[in-house]
Amino acid sequence: MKQISVRQCGVLIVMCIFANKILLMPSLMYEQAKADSIFVLIVLFLLDLLLLPIFIKLKTTYPDKKLYDVLKDKLGVIITKIIYILMLLFFFFKCLLVFSITYVYFKQQIYQNEFIFIAFISFLPVINHAVVTGVRAFSRTIEMFYGIVLAGFIACLVISLFTPISNPVFFTSNGKMFFESLYNHVFSFGDFIFLFLIMDKIQIKKGQEKHLYTYSIIGMLLVITLFYLFYAKYQVTSFMHNNALADLLVFSVQFNAIGRLDIIAMITIMLITLFQMEIFNYAFCDCFLNIFPLLSKTYSVVVFDIIFAVLYYIFIGKYEIMVSSTMFWLPYLAIFINYILPIILLIIILLKRRRKHEKKTNKSNV
Amino acid sequence: MSYFDTNKKIKELKKALNESVDFAYRYYKKDGQTIAFVFLKSIIDANLFSSAVYYPLQTFEQKITIENLQNDILKCLDIKLIKEKDIIKEILDGKLIILTNFSKEIISVDLLKFPARIPSEPPTSPVIQGPREGFVEDLQTNVTLIRRRLKTENLVFEVLRVGSQTQTKVCITYIKGIANKKLVKEVTKKIKEIEIDGILDSYYVLSFLEERPNSLFKQIGNQEKPDIIVAKMLEGKVAIIVDNSPIVLTVPFIFIEDLQNSNDYYTNHIYSSFVRIIRIFGLLVATIAPGFYLALQIYHYNILPLNFLITIADTTQGLPFTPFLEILFIFLLFQILYEVSLRLPSYLGLATSVVGALILGDTGVKAGLISPPGVIIVALSKIALYTIPEQASQVTVLQLIFIILGGSLGLVGIVSGMVYIINYLNNFDSYGTPYLAPYSPRIPQDLKDAILVKPIKDFRYRPKSFSPQKKERL
Amino acid sequence: MKKRPIKVMFKMPMVIVFIFILIFFTPLAIYSPGENRNRGVVTAIGIDKADEQYEISLLTFIPTANQTYKEQNAVISGKGQSVAEAIYNAQIAMGRTIGLAHAKTTVVNEELLNEDVSVVVNYLSRVASLPENTVFVCTNKTAKEMLESSQELTSHLGLKLEQVIGYNAKHLYVTDTSLEAFYKGYYSKTKASLIGYLTLEEATEQEKEKSSVSGMNESSQGGGQSEAQGGGQGGNSGEKKHILNQGQAVLLKDGKKVALLSIEELNGINLLNTKSKDQIISIDNVEHNGNKLSMQYKIKNKKTLITTEFENGYPIYVAQLILGVELVEVSGMDDSLKINTEFSEVTEEVARKIEEEIKKQYTASIKILRENNADVIGVTKKFFIEHRKEFTKFVEQLDGIDDFLNYVTFKLNTIVQPD
Repeated sequence: MKQISVRQCGVLIVMCIFANKILLMPSLMYEQAKADSIFVLIVLFLLDLLLLPIFIKLKTTYPDKKLYDVLKDKLGVIITKIIYILMLLFFFFKCLLVFSITYVYFKQQIYQNEFIFIAFISFLPVINHAVVTGVRAFSRTIEMFYGIVLAGFIACLVISLFTPISNPVFFTSNGKMFFESLYNHVFSFGDFIFLFLIMDKIQIKKGQEKHLYTYSIIGMLLVITLFYLFYAKYQVTSFMHNNALADLLVFSVQFNAIGRLDIIAMITIMLITLFQMEIFNYAFCDCFLNIFPLLSKTYSVVVFDIIFAVLYYIFIGKYEIMVSSTMFWLPYLAIFINYILPIILLIIILLKRRRKHEKKTNKSNV
Repeated sequence: MSYFDTNKKIKELKKALNESVDFAYRYYKKDGQTIAFVFLKSIIDANLFSSAVYYPLQTFEQKITIENLQNDILKCLDIKLIKEKDIIKEILDGKLIILTNFSKEIISVDLLKFPARIPSEPPTSPVIQGPREGFVEDLQTNVTLIRRRLKTENLVFEVLRVGSQTQTKVCITYIKGIANKKLVKEVTKKIKEIEIDGILDSYYVLSFLEERPNSLFKQIGNQEKPDIIVAKMLEGKVAIIVDNSPIVLTVPFIFIEDLQNSNDYYTNHIYSSFVRIIRIFGLLVATIAPGFYLALQIYHYNILPLNFLITIADTTQGLPFTPFLEILFIFLLFQILYEVSLRLPSYLGLATSVVGALILGDTGVKAGLISPPGVIIVALSKIALYTIPEQASQVTVLQLIFIILGGSLGLVGIVSGMVYIINYLNNFDSYGTPYLAPYSPRIPQDLKDAILVKPIKDFRYRPKSFSPQKKERL
Repeated sequence: MKKRPIKVMFKMPMVIVFIFILIFFTPLAIYSPGENRNRGVVTAIGIDKADEQYEISLLTFIPTANQTYKEQNAVISGKGQSVAEAIYNAQIAMGRTIGLAHAKTTVVNEELLNEDVSVVVNYLSRVASLPENTVFVCTNKTAKEMLESSQELTSHLGLKLEQVIGYNAKHLYVTDTSLEAFYKGYYSKTKASLIGYLTLEEATEQEKEKSSVSGMNESSQGGGQSEAQGGGQGGNSGEKKHILNQGQAVLLKDGKKVALLSIEELNGINLLNTKSKDQIISIDNVEHNGNKLSMQYKIKNKKTLITTEFENGYPIYVAQLILGVELVEVSGMDDSLKINTEFSEVTEEVARKIEEEIKKQYTASIKILRENNADVIGVTKKFFIEHRKEFTKFVEQLDGIDDFLNYVTFKLNTIVQPD
C-alpha cells in the first residue's frame, strides 16, 4: 500500500491553501471589499477549517475505504457518479484558473514574447508525470520543495517590510460588498476537498491529527499575512497590482540600486503553481477513474491534457472571462462541493456511529 | 592394486587444460607408492609447496596412507577431499591436486598465490586524516581488510560464482542480525540470476543489480575503502565484493551517501556540516548554472540587475555565436579538455591545462569568439562538479539537458525540469529505500547524518531508511 | 505479447517530450540572439509636450563591445499624439524593441503638470514590465535636456540620476518619489501627492570654457544644498546645462501642480516624520558672555506623538515633538570661545529659540497645504481612522473632503533636548 505520511499530507494542504490566492486574488478582492477583504478571507478560511474535523472523523470511521466506496454504499452509484462529475469539474476549473493566473503573470513579467507553448510544454508533461507516478511520489516531491517554497514565500513577505508600509484602513465596506465578495471568491477555497479524495492513501497514526491543523493554520496565516502586507504596502492602489506575491518584492527608491529581486518570487510562484496543478490534476484523474473505472491512468491524463489545451486555447487572451466565470457561475459548484458535500458526509458518519451505538446497546440488552 | 593410473590421468588433465604452459606436475615415489602433484605453476606458491608439502612427505617415515597424508603430513594446510570431476576447477582456482595410486581419494591443497598489490590509499577517495588503506584486486585480501575491522561472529561472507567463463567469485557480505533479511535474500537472488560469460569488474555485477537499468542515476554504491564499507555494513547495508576488483558495491544506495565523505567523520562535525552545505550548493551550481545563465540571456533580460546586464551586453556584443551556441561551444570545449587531460600521461597533463586554460580560454575571449561571462559560468559549473566527484558523470549529462531546457524554454523550463527530476527520483526506491531519504520522505531520525552532521556519539540509531533488523546501534 | 503503441510511448514519455523540445524549440533558441542583444534597454524615460504632441525621450543603453560607459547611452526621442504612439515612434527610430524593465527614472516637464499628469503616465502604469518603483520627477526645462544632462552626470561623477533622487527621497522628501507613490496620493481621498523636482540650469560662461578646454567638468562649490552637477550637450542648442538639486518638490492636487515647495517648506512638512533626521535649524542672537552668537543645530533624534480629537465638534490635531539636537556650527564668537563644548547643553534660551523656529516652519508648511487643500501628511486619514463617526458627520457639513484641512486646528508642543 503506497501511503503518504501526515507531514506530506500537511504539505499538500499548504499548497492547496496557496492555490489561486497569492497572485490575483488580493487585488481582485480589493475592488469589492477594500481592505476588509482580509476579513472575507478569514471567514472563508474558518469555513474551510471546519472541513478538517469532518475529514478526520470520516477517516477514523472508514480508515481504509475510498470516498467513492463510502458514497456508493450510502447514496447509490448514480448519485455518487454525479457527485464525482461535479468534483471533476471543480478540480478541472481550479487547475485552469491557477494556470491562467500564473500564465498572465509569466507573460507580463517574465516572457515578453509569446509564451503559451512554452508554458504548455514545460508544465503539462511534468504535471502528468507526477500524476502517473502517483500521490506518494509527488507528495514526496512537494515535501522536498516545501522548505524552498516556504523560504521564498517568507522572503517575499520580509522584503516587503523594507518599503514604507502603514496599516490599511479597515471597515470601509458595507455588508453587501462583504457578502458579495464572500460569494464571488468562494470558488478559490475548499482546500481540503482534495484530502477526501485521497483519504485511503493517508496514513494517520493516533495523535497525529493535530499536525494537520498545524499545517493548515500555517498556510492560512501566511496567506493572511500576504494580504495584510499587500494592502499595507499598496493601500489605495492595491487594485492596480495583479501579482500580489511578486509585487510585494518591488523595492522602494532607496533599494533600487540592488536591482530586481523578482527571481525569488518567480521561482516560488513557479513551484507553487506546478504543485497546485499537480494536486488538481491528480484529483481530476482520480475522479475520472472513478467515473470510468475501466480506463487506465494514462488515459485520464491524456483526456485532461486535451480538454485543458482546447479550453485554454478558447480562453486565451480572454482571461477576464475565465476570472469572471469563477465569480459568477462557478460559486454554485463551489458551494456544493465545499459545504454541502461535507455536510452529507457528516450525516453519513453520524448515522454510522448511531448504528454502531444501537448495535452496542442491543447487544448489551441481549 | 592401483586406483589411479597417475600418468594417464595427468595426460588427460594436460589435454583438458589445452597443454597450458603453466601446467605442471611432480611425482613422489616410495616403496611402490606413487604420489602425483598437479598444479598450475603460475598461481601456486612454490616455496610453500616445497616446504609444507614436499619436505614433510620426504621426511615421513611410516607407510603413507591417505589418512596420514591428511592428518599428519599436510596438517597445517588448507586441504579437502574432492571429487574427480572437480579436478579441473580446483586446479584453475590455484589448488594443488594430489593423486595417489593407493587411494581413490583426491586431495586438494590451497597454495594459491599470485602477484598482488598491497593495500594503499586509493586515488579516488583520498583522506586528509583517517585510515589510508584501500581495497585491492584480491578477494582474500579484501575479506581480510573487512574482517580486521569487524571482529564479530555475525559477519557473513557468502561466496557465489558468477560468469560461465571467468567463474569469478562474488562475495556477499553483511552483518547477520543487522542487515535486513529481505534485502540479503533479494541481493543473493539477483546475483544468482546473473547470466554472463565473464565478470571482469564489479561494474559488471552492478549493472545486474540496478533496479532501473536505463536510468541515468546511480543506484548502487561503490567504494574503495574498507572503513567506509564497514561503516555502511553497520548501517544495515549489504556489501558485494567481486574478485579482481578493488571496488566494493553496497546496496541499498541513496543519494545522500555521495554527499557523505569519509573525511566528514574524521573531522569536527560543524565543519563537516558546512562542507556538506557547500557540496549541495556546488551540485546545484554545477547542474543549472549554464542553463540558468542562458535562460537569463535569451528570455529574461529584466531579471538581471542593470549593471550585470550592461556587462553581459557589452561582452557579448559582436560575438559570432548566439548565446546558445556560445555556451554549447564552451561546454564542449571544456568537456574535450577534460577527456584529454584524463587520458594523457601526467607529464602531458600540464601542457593540456596550459593550452586549455591560457591559449584557448584567454585567446578565445580576446579574439572575440567567446565572452568572459560565458567562460566564467561554464568553468564555474565544471569545477563545481567535483564538489561531489562521485556524481560528476551524471551531472555532466544533466548540465547539457539543462542547457537545452534553459535555452529553449527559459526559467520555467529549468524549474519544471528540476521538479521532474526530483519527482522521478522520488518514484524509485532502491531496494525498498526512498532514494532521496531522509529529506523526502522526511525521516527525522536520519537527519543526524544528512546535510547537517551531528557528532558521532549522537548516532544512537541506525538509519531508519535502510530498515535494519536491529535499530539501535548498541 | 504485442504492446499497444500508446503504452510503449508512455513508457518513456519524457524522452519524447525532450525530443519534441529539441526539434521545435532548440532551433529557435539557437538562432535567437537573446533578449539582451535584441532590446534597447531603457534606463530613463522623459516626457515633454511639444506642439500639442507628446515627445518621448528614452535614455537608452546601447551595448558596444569594449567601450566606455559614456558612449553607450543615447537619448532617442519620438513624437506622437499619445504617449504610446510617441514610444512606438521612438522604437522605430531606435530600430530595436524597447525594454522598459530597467527604466529607473521617469522625468516629466513642468508644463505637463498644468494638466492632470495621470493621463500622461497612464501608459506607463499599464506597461507591466515597467517597475512600479520607477522614480518620478519633474523638471523646469524639457525632460529631453534633463536626460541628456544626466547622461553626462553619469560619466563624470559616478552618480546616477536615480541616486541623486534616491538621496532626496531618503533625506528630504522622506517618501518615495516614484510612480507608485504618485498614484497612491492620486487615488487617496485627498488626491494630493508630492513628487521630486530637479532644476536644470545653464552653465556659466566660465564653466563652459573650462569644459571645452579640459573636456571634463568639475563639480563647482555650490550653495548649502547637496549639489550634483554635470554639463552636457544640450539637445539642439549645444548649450551646457547643469542638473541642480535644490531639494525641491512639487505639490500635486488632482494630478495638477499647485505649488513648488522649497527645502525649508519640505522640512516643515517632515517635522512630524520620525524618519526625517539631520535637518539643520539656525537660530540667531543667542546671548553668550555678552556676545551675540548665531548657531546651527542639527536634529539628531526625533520622537513624535500625534493625537487627534474633536473638541466642540471641531477637529484638533496635536503633535508632541521631542527633539534631540546637537550643535554643529557657531559663528560670531571671539577667539576665546573657540571650543564649542560649552554649548553642548541646550540652554533655556536656545530651546525657546529652536521651538520658535520650528513653529515658524511648521505653520508656514501647514499654510501652504491649506491653501492648496493638499493633505500630503495624512491628517485626513488619521482623523478618518481614529474618529470615524465624528469625521463623517463633520465632512457631511462641508462642501467636500478637501475643505476639511482648513477646519483642523494644529497644535505643536516641542521639547528640545541635547542629544
